[in-house]
Amino acid sequence: MTMGDLYLFGKALRDLVQARKLVPVIGLVLLPLAVALIWRSLVPVGKFVPTQVYDQLARSLVFGFLLVLLACVFGTSVVSQEMEQQTIVYLLTRPMPRWRILLSKFVAALLATALAAGLASLLLALGTQGLHHWGQLPLTRDLLFLALGSLAYGGLFLLLGTVLQRPLLFGLLYVFGIESWLPNLPGSFKMLSLMAYLWVLAPHGRATAPTPANPFLVTAALTPALAWRVVVGVIVISVAGALIAFSTREYVPRQDA
Amino acid sequence: MIHLEHASRWYGQVIGVNDVTCHLSSGITALLGPNGAGKSTLLKLITGQLRPTTGSVLVFGEKPFAKARVLRRIGYCPEVESSYDDLTGRQFVTMLAAMAGLAGRLLRKQVEEAIGRVGMAPNADRKIGGYSMGMRQRIKLAQALVHEPELLILDEPLSGLDPLGRREVTQLLVDLARAGRGIVVSSHILHEVEQLTHTILLMHRNRLLAQGDIRQIRALIDAHPHRIAIATRQARALAKELLDLPYVLSVRLDSTDEASLEVETRSPEQFYAQFPDVVCTHGFVIDGFDSPDNNLEAVFGYLVDG
Repeated sequence: MTMGDLYLFGKALRDLVQARKLVPVIGLVLLPLAVALIWRSLVPVGKFVPTQVYDQLARSLVFGFLLVLLACVFGTSVVSQEMEQQTIVYLLTRPMPRWRILLSKFVAALLATALAAGLASLLLALGTQGLHHWGQLPLTRDLLFLALGSLAYGGLFLLLGTVLQRPLLFGLLYVFGIESWLPNLPGSFKMLSLMAYLWVLAPHGRATAPTPANPFLVTAALTPALAWRVVVGVIVISVAGALIAFSTREYVPRQDA
Repeated sequence: MIHLEHASRWYGQVIGVNDVTCHLSSGITALLGPNGAGKSTLLKLITGQLRPTTGSVLVFGEKPFAKARVLRRIGYCPEVESSYDDLTGRQFVTMLAAMAGLAGRLLRKQVEEAIGRVGMAPNADRKIGGYSMGMRQRIKLAQALVHEPELLILDEPLSGLDPLGRREVTQLLVDLARAGRGIVVSSHILHEVEQLTHTILLMHRNRLLAQGDIRQIRALIDAHPHRIAIATRQARALAKELLDLPYVLSVRLDSTDEASLEVETRSPEQFYAQFPDVVCTHGFVIDGFDSPDNNLEAVFGYLVDG
């Protein structure tokens, strides 16, 4: 790692936490906590089971929504922000291998995604369990798989950012058009969704195993072994693809072309 | 340093650079042409941001596209006004210097030197977002200089600068060229680069229209006689003597100003060589002597319109 990598990483991290982006991100991070608190206030005392609420909100809100959305916003901005600001010209004319430029900026995006999703998960635990009995929650496992999910989705959106002109638009279409409903479909359709595999690796409550009443929730084909292979495969292919694309494609800001 | 062989670059259906062949070495070369002539595309090809669609571009003997080894020897000052507005000038130059492989004391030393050379030391710790156009131009120049490259590619480096700034930057570039650097400066304002160099590349409608020394190019344009304005109180007498010279095409006396005349010649070199003899032999007193055609504006006009 060189000084150039560190400066780029620091600059990228600074860009990600700038005020314009920070406010909506804070809103997103607080969302699971807010829902948990509302839930707690609406349900009669005694009927509020913290572990169940945590499982449900962690699965649907933290993993199923927040992680994907944050990865989309941060991952696609790695290249597109430099293109929009026309500052990419400064980066691409420096004597630094392009793959390292992209990797330095990607690590910053990855860190921001994982930290924000992890923080949301911790706040959700706080909202459901209060300050006690955190040991009843799969918090450590969730934090680990949120980091893994950040890497997988981050890589996917990084790839989009390196090959598409409007990556955020296509990323949001993917988030809301595919990842929001495909994992819940019956049969094998869910196998096209990355989230289905993450849910297998970090199961929450009802989705942990097929039940006679609802045999479609997890198909027999979706095993942890397969989930590991798919998630790692997506990470390797998307990150490598993004690095290769960034090293070989031309990036000329639109007004400049 | 730079070799382009039949290099063309298309943006889809639109051509950016059309069949350009040229070789550039050390010293200052001005890349001239109106807006949209293809100057910036040519510089992007040289700095490895773009690949030629056909033909070849070699810088220091290698294809420059995304090649760190070549880019280490190039400093590029882009035309874009955008910059990292949230960084200070010093942070901006430091980040790009670090990306050029500098570190530690050497990094700090060269950053200070580059900032000082462009006269930005007093404003280096202000955010770029608050800079004037001239300051932005200077700090862009500092980032191009900071890793001490052998070749500087400067896209419209004088635009946005006030007269004093232009003079300072012009002097800086002349000094760098004298120190052995190769410098390519693009501009659409011809008189700007006249102070810098006589070596030009003239682009028009994405093609290379002319290349070489401005005076030689001017001499080659036979279709357009070279005009020389002379101020003397003996205008009529001088006109008579000059008309006897075989290579003088015409002499025009100004009806409103009896003390000046304009000579048209197809052989300016011969005229300039013999004119002192004519003046001395007949004892003419010359108050002023100028050639309106001996500048880039005139050459550009002839080449483009002619």
